[in-house]
Amino acid sequence: MSEISYDQVPYAIRDDLIAAQRRCWEGLARAGTWHDGARRVAIAAETRNARNCDYCQAQKAALSPNAVAGSHAGLGELSDVEVDAVHRIASDPARLSKAWYEENKAEGLGDEPYVELVSLVAIVTIVDSFTFALGLPDHPLPTPVPGAPTRYRSPGAKVQAAWVPIVEPRDMTESDGDLYPSARVGYIQRAISAVPDSKWAYWDLASCHYLPMEEIPRWDTNARAIDRTQIELIAGRVSALHQCLY
Amino acid sequence: MLRESSLTNNSDFDLTELTAGVTGAGDIQAAKLLADFAEAAVKRETGPLTEYRNALLQALGPAGVVDAAATVAAFHGYVRLADATGIPYEHAGFGTDTTEMRAAIGIDNFYAAGLEDRG
Repeated sequence: MSEISYDQVPYAIRDDLIAAQRRCWEGLARAGTWHDGARRVAIAAETRNARNCDYCQAQKAALSPNAVAGSHAGLGELSDVEVDAVHRIASDPARLSKAWYEENKAEGLGDEPYVELVSLVAIVTIVDSFTFALGLPDHPLPTPVPGAPTRYRSPGAKVQAAWVPIVEPRDMTESDGDLYPSARVGYIQRAISAVPDSKWAYWDLASCHYLPMEEIPRWDTNARAIDRTQIELIAGRVSALHQCLY
Repeated sequence: MLRESSLTNNSDFDLTELTAGVTGAGDIQAAKLLADFAEAAVKRETGPLTEYRNALLQALGPAGVVDAAATVAAFHGYVRLADATGIPYEHAGFGTDTTEMRAAIGIDNFYAAGLEDRG
């Protein structure tokens, strides 16, 4: 079922990284918490489609994304508000705003379905950015698997510190599973906690590309083939080029 | 995070270069090449990306290129997660990103800083 292969690459790709990408591709194809497999793969396809959207490029070039009239060139599988969310997150994430988020909510994009959508855009962006950086084509998207979303709503999720509901460590419940390794977690780890399955899928993938969670506080970690200062230089430069405050 | 890892590893790097452009003046190995590679990936510039990737292969070897690409990819995800959810940024980097440092680096000039709607 997995379409992830690096057999043609002239140098070795870490086994754990390939395995993580395959797990996330298999998860992408299955029903999630709020979207079924077909919809999740459609979100992935729309994430890629955003690269070629003239409206996204016009918005990104403008002083304010709100100054440009028009509409996204969607693939036709998602609602207009979902297409806008996917394209804006994929193309110009630094200029998203709480007002934009609230407008999308008012147009019917619920908190938790949005959180799952965010995780999917981020997951596809990670995998596609990796292949692009290595000069490889996109992996084919997986074939959706039939099934119904669980529609699990974390009892402890509240809108408090972020636009979206998050589960603070003190509000975790047994039904959330092992959401946090400890009570001392950064907000980046809480960001999509309202949808635990999405959180696990995202962090499973992201940790294999950046650093395992237990290595992050170790400033002299040698978990990778480049040293920690090189890793953080790349991290800081990519974040700065995206104008990310975090 | 870069500041903390630099301190721990006795590296010298001017953090303002993260926003202004990396010159390679510090003592992080292949700093400019890594930054150029990252920038070409963010801007999806295939020609320069190929050039920098080949240079990184010579400088760091295949495993280094793979982990550089993986880090680039990871932060394409992290920025979207952070910016799409509106989480607070004051506590980023385990609280190591101080107000003074953010101002000095120029992060306060980013578009979203003016919105004042994160967190």
